[in-house]
Amino acid sequence: HADESSGRKSYSRDFLLTFAEQCTYLPVGFEIGSDIADALMSVPVGTAHVFDREPY
Amino acid sequence: EAEPAAGIHHQQLHPLEYAWKFWFDNPSLKSKQTAWGASIRPVHTFSTVEDFWSLYNNIHHPSKLVVGADLYCFKDTIEPKWEDPVCQNGGNWTINCPRGKSDTMWLYTLLAMIGEQFDNGDEICGAVVNVRGKQERISIWTKNAANEATQLSIGKQWKEMLDYNEQIGFIFHDDAKKLGRSVKSKYTI
Repeated sequence: HADESSGRKSYSRDFLLTFAEQCTYLPVGFEIGSDIADALMSVPVGTAHVFDREPY
Repeated sequence: EAEPAAGIHHQQLHPLEYAWKFWFDNPSLKSKQTAWGASIRPVHTFSTVEDFWSLYNNIHHPSKLVVGADLYCFKDTIEPKWEDPVCQNGGNWTINCPRGKSDTMWLYTLLAMIGEQFDNGDEICGAVVNVRGKQERISIWTKNAANEATQLSIGKQWKEMLDYNEQIGFIFHDDAKKLGRSVKSKYTI
């Protein structure tokens, strides 16, 4: 699906949407700071690697 | 032992033209900071179609984010700040939606950016959704605000992609910095 003429990797919305249902697991290596995990994640944060961020 | 599923999957990944990064600004942290931008946190970088969905499917969509939150998706090398060297001469188009109504427009904006559907995709820095009490605002940040033709092209395409018919405005970051809330749009489409 890459656009050969321009050499750019372009994908239509319809093509991208066909992947929506297959990719439900968090990406490999995903980790998230405890200071944003609850507000951002829609899944229980126990499934991700949560780290404590040093206070600024 | 069986081959891990991830190993097979890996060969079929669809690479994106750019690597992108989500950033999140949590209102409960914002309130503790004095300097703007001090509470913004990088979330994760992705560079394949599959990793985009893996992130998108596990984070809240705008309607489920708390009021005051900002969710950004920017090219990996660009920080979503006016001071970023790539952003500093830029500006942004903004679409306003009632609270709870921007989820589809946010998704379509992300898909158009990462799928390189804009003719001037190289001029785009990223997008942000600002969740506020009465509305959700989606903005696309671009690099060279003074280049009117490029901005108009991006704004026009964006509206077509979202099937959005109301007028939208383009604000220069420089003006926003100087004028704050009284800033006026330089271009409208």
